[in-house]
Amino acid sequence: MAHFYPLSVTDIRRETRDSVVVTLEPRAEDRADFNFIQGQYLTFRRKFDGEELRRSYSICAGRDEGVLRVGIKKVADGWFSSWANDELKVGDTLEAMKPMGAFHVPLEPERARHYLGFAGGSGITPVISIIKTVLKEEPQATFTLVYGNRSANAIMFREELEDLKNEYMGRLNIIHILETEADIDLFSGLLTREKCDALFGRWVNVAGADVAFICGPEPMMLTIAEALKAHGLPENKIKFELFASARPGKAKKETANGKAAASGATCQATIIMDGIRRTVEMPKTGQSVLEAAIAAGLDAPFACKAGVCSTCRAKVIEGESEMEANYALEDYEVERGYVLTCQCHPLSDKIVVDYDQ
Amino acid sequence: MSEDAAILDYLAKGGKLTSPDNAPSRYRAELMRVMASFVDSELAGAAGFADLINEAPGIGEKTAAARIVLEKIDHAVRVLDIMGEFGANIARYQSVHPWASRIGRHEDIGATRREGDMRLNVFHYPLEGWTDAVTMNVLMGRATVIQLTELARCSYQPLAEAFQSILPEEARHAELGEEGLLRLAASGVGAKKAIRESVDYWRPRVAASFGGADSPRFAMLKRFGLRHNPNDALLTEWSASVDQCLSKIDA
Repeated sequence: MAHFYPLSVTDIRRETRDSVVVTLEPRAEDRADFNFIQGQYLTFRRKFDGEELRRSYSICAGRDEGVLRVGIKKVADGWFSSWANDELKVGDTLEAMKPMGAFHVPLEPERARHYLGFAGGSGITPVISIIKTVLKEEPQATFTLVYGNRSANAIMFREELEDLKNEYMGRLNIIHILETEADIDLFSGLLTREKCDALFGRWVNVAGADVAFICGPEPMMLTIAEALKAHGLPENKIKFELFASARPGKAKKETANGKAAASGATCQATIIMDGIRRTVEMPKTGQSVLEAAIAAGLDAPFACKAGVCSTCRAKVIEGESEMEANYALEDYEVERGYVLTCQCHPLSDKIVVDYDQ
Repeated sequence: MSEDAAILDYLAKGGKLTSPDNAPSRYRAELMRVMASFVDSELAGAAGFADLINEAPGIGEKTAAARIVLEKIDHAVRVLDIMGEFGANIARYQSVHPWASRIGRHEDIGATRREGDMRLNVFHYPLEGWTDAVTMNVLMGRATVIQLTELARCSYQPLAEAFQSILPEEARHAELGEEGLLRLAASGVGAKKAIRESVDYWRPRVAASFGGADSPRFAMLKRFGLRHNPNDALLTEWSASVDQCLSKIDA
């Protein structure tokens, strides 16, 4: 099960009008768990109106900075990002899982690699973590960053990037592309294929690059990846990270089901395990029978949680339910009432599920 | 466009994902299925091959067989770790199915799965002695290389990278099998006959592991960027590769 750790907020810096950089500190005993790799992210959870919301934000610190810091940009209708921008205070506690993500390549300090980075808006957060780390830990590495923003005052980490450029003289090259305000055509507008072609022809040596990192909204990532491939960079040298705010915070997954909506929104589920009956109130959507059983403190069996392995099999002996996916049970088992509880949602107001059969 | 629709559109156009959070639920389920199939096949393959270490005729063959068993389990663990990031219970997973269990030698299960065990059909059949094991390893080894080359391009980048790192080791397993098979073939007419019998047994079963030519699942996996080349194209590639390999035996 996903484990969350408390992190205390030790600093909040307003980065642009609609973004903040939050510094966090784990408890002493959790510190080792938060040793991150450049380019990783943290997943936070918080309850809004009783519904749990999980959101992931990339770490924007370098690996050797000794701090844990994330950049949070406010997105339209984003509950978590709005709350973090408007209400979060120093001294508050956030709950987060250990750092995760694979948006990096292993460091090779002895090599003189050339990196390319492409960031759109707040897509800069994991990229700046990578820039700081590789410039410091790979003394011969060089980095070219192409960074797209709506306007100059929306650029996150603008000063920090300038400082890095000065600190690592000649090793960090930054090309800002602004949708508005730029005087030169090449550096204004969106990062279209034509613009990539023009940039790659004159300003960016694509074929000589060792790896390219792209983080931003989907269309931008596709365009850049296509252009990179066309200019000679093999696909396996392109690393993608989907823009953090591409998925604005939503509480739990919804399963569309008219029948469920027709009656009550919750179900009284009786779960039988090891001969013991436990009755819990559970929502008809957003939580599986397995999750309800675990939340009720039962040691319900599960392994893959994807409808594949059948570890969580149980029999519905009363009531109606449906499964989101089923790769494990045969038709005859389903007919006899067996379900994969990790995929199972109640339809009726009452359900009895037996793990012992 | 809803969030999921935007991401599915992105995937259909060749986009890649790197984090479980961005995976729409259907994509997640199919990705987990791909991973479970690989993990179960590696664990079942290793379990079946483990028994053969003792039957290996020489110390070199024993070392090769033991290495194959060790590395296949390690490959399963690498992919299990990715399943763990999606919430799978790794500790429990490896004890879910009896990996060493096999059906009868001449039962026919086609390409179907059994009881939630996602191993490929071919790993349900028992090996019969050293020559049979080496032959199966050659045929399935070549299939694995082709199937993994396909999956090493998949749209879930951490998995694609895991498969890229696993691929050379699996290719080496296939080579070790081939070296062993050539040594066996050189030992006489009787050995060649035994190899041919094993080829006749395993060839259709390994072929079935590629799935049907008109698999409806393939179309969906392709939209998700989890697959690129259809089953029958991979099967044709494998068939040619096997013919080329077997011609060395008959030479």
